[in-house]
Amino acid sequence: MSGALGSIPLLAQGGEGFVRNRESGSGASCVSDDGVCPAWIVDHFDRYMEPLGRHVLLTVVALAIGFSISFTLALLAHRRRWLIAPVVQLTGILYTIPSLALFFLLLPITGRGFLTAEIALVSYTLLIIFRNVVTGLDGVPSDVVDAARGMGLNDRQVLWRVEIPLALPEIAAGLRIAATTTVGLASLAFFAGAGGLGDPIYADLNFKSNVLVAGGLCVLLAIALDLLVLAVQRLLTPWTRAVPA
Amino acid sequence: MSTPDQTPSGAAAAASPASAASPDRAPAQLEFVDVVKRYPGASAATIESLSLDVPAGEILVLVGPSGCGKTTVMRMVNRMIEPSGGQILIDGEPNTTRPAAELRRDIGYVIQQTGLFPHRTIAENVATVPKLLGWPKARIADRTAELLELVGLDPEFAGRYPAQLSGGQRQRVGVARALAVDPPLMLMDEPFGAIDPITRERLQNEFLRLQETLKRTIVFVTHDIDEAIKMGDRIAVMRPGGHLAQYATPAELLLSPADEFVEQFVGADRALKRLALGRVRDLRLEETVRVRYGDPTAWVREQLRTSQVPYPLVVDADGRPLAWLDDDDLRGERVVEGVGSAVATVERDDILRDAFSDVLAHRVQFAAVVDGHGAVIGILSSDAVARELAPGPAPVEPVEAGAGPGTGS
Repeated sequence: MSGALGSIPLLAQGGEGFVRNRESGSGASCVSDDGVCPAWIVDHFDRYMEPLGRHVLLTVVALAIGFSISFTLALLAHRRRWLIAPVVQLTGILYTIPSLALFFLLLPITGRGFLTAEIALVSYTLLIIFRNVVTGLDGVPSDVVDAARGMGLNDRQVLWRVEIPLALPEIAAGLRIAATTTVGLASLAFFAGAGGLGDPIYADLNFKSNVLVAGGLCVLLAIALDLLVLAVQRLLTPWTRAVPA
Repeated sequence: MSTPDQTPSGAAAAASPASAASPDRAPAQLEFVDVVKRYPGASAATIESLSLDVPAGEILVLVGPSGCGKTTVMRMVNRMIEPSGGQILIDGEPNTTRPAAELRRDIGYVIQQTGLFPHRTIAENVATVPKLLGWPKARIADRTAELLELVGLDPEFAGRYPAQLSGGQRQRVGVARALAVDPPLMLMDEPFGAIDPITRERLQNEFLRLQETLKRTIVFVTHDIDEAIKMGDRIAVMRPGGHLAQYATPAELLLSPADEFVEQFVGADRALKRLALGRVRDLRLEETVRVRYGDPTAWVREQLRTSQVPYPLVVDADGRPLAWLDDDDLRGERVVEGVGSAVATVERDDILRDAFSDVLAHRVQFAAVVDGHGAVIGILSSDAVARELAPGPAPVEPVEAGAGPGTGS
């Protein structure tokens, strides 16, 4: 474990500005003991803001691009069913490549930085979102689609006015899983030199205060994104909450 | 042509064909000409050269066992399925001259599972086609309110979602939605199939009442011969393999099935089923001796000799039936208060089946036909019902029932 990590900084050079940078007036003994030091945390909280902002950016961009790609693929595959199997296989392979391995595979091609991190992060969202959109569209009751066509909605109208709205809960569910997964994976982005909350975490893994704050922010971000998607979904699907009278 | 448009923003509608959807559109005449449906790779045709003529304003029922192609026939009308050959003419015009989506907006469509949009309110569901046609908002709102009332739904349902309604209510919404632009032609695929029997009966009756005023041309698919007989002006019985076995009115179908298949399909009780087609007023009523409690029995016996009905009927001061009397009740000097057996009471508008059933449930096989006030206007005998069912000409004037002079037999 430590051996593996030991070789990483050669490539990643993570933790700029964080390396053993613990100088602090308050609670000096707590800090030197690697403990959880509330006073230190309060004093140094602002230094986590930049990595947090970066982490949000990494996640949101990855989700936006991942959603656009998988949603488009899903719409294509919805009408051309034969596309589903190859898309699932391809995105499935991407999904199973270990993230660290992918970073290192990409380094020679795309170099260190944001782009490399995004390529990896995006590729992990594809399978989840694609599958959920396809499942959601498949789950639309056939009688509803039949009635829509029978009343004279054309294919595009059926898709956008009937099928996609009714698939929204399933689509949102996929987006939520993708969001939480991406927040977690983005903490490895610093290996690709893309920053994020992984930076402070790996800069001082022994210092509990540091790991607690950076790790805690990851968790909070995941929860916040999850709730955000949920809130938007509930806003867009009022009928799912209609109580039978 | 421009139709009176109360809405200020009618300009948008006037520019589109939507304005043609005026509240009183004429029903369409529908014709199938040698229609064939054959799926590639299938050995036999799904529909074998079907020709049918449906007059405007009538209900055509397509009925048959599953796999007979009845739904396929219906779905070819609005081109949900494209025929492999032949033509379907709507008011003489092939249904292929317009784009399918445009054609469908002009044809009401009701299916068994309702197909209501779960994510749209009842009002929005009903407004589907008007919205597609670009009606102005105010006109849509007016029409939606009107339609909900027409199908007997409380206006408060307008804002609800389909999941908040019962099966029967949902099916009403389905009918309202199909009627939205008053389409000249409607397709209904087992519309009442998934509903409990009591609600189904009520919806059928309400729909028939609605049809009396709307007079739409309707293609109605069912596998239930009783429903076919009840709903249809004309019935097309389909045989597995897509053959038309018989095309006839309900009465013709029951009286003279074309072949063994039809005979079996309409059922061994087809004579009884014809009772569902007639009403008490269609039959000639008979007369009996009407007596009051306290009348002398000798007089009653004397009257009975010339009576068509062998039982005297006790009535009250207002002519309402109280009891049938038999020989035992006439033993004393006078008709004793309270004697006699219960009387089946039917009205002129009752369906014969119900009236006959009522007669069978009583000891005396005659029913008193009463008017709106309950007073007796005549007697219905089970013989008269039986004569109505007997095949042959003119059962309306049975010779032996004639009480007038000169009716020798």
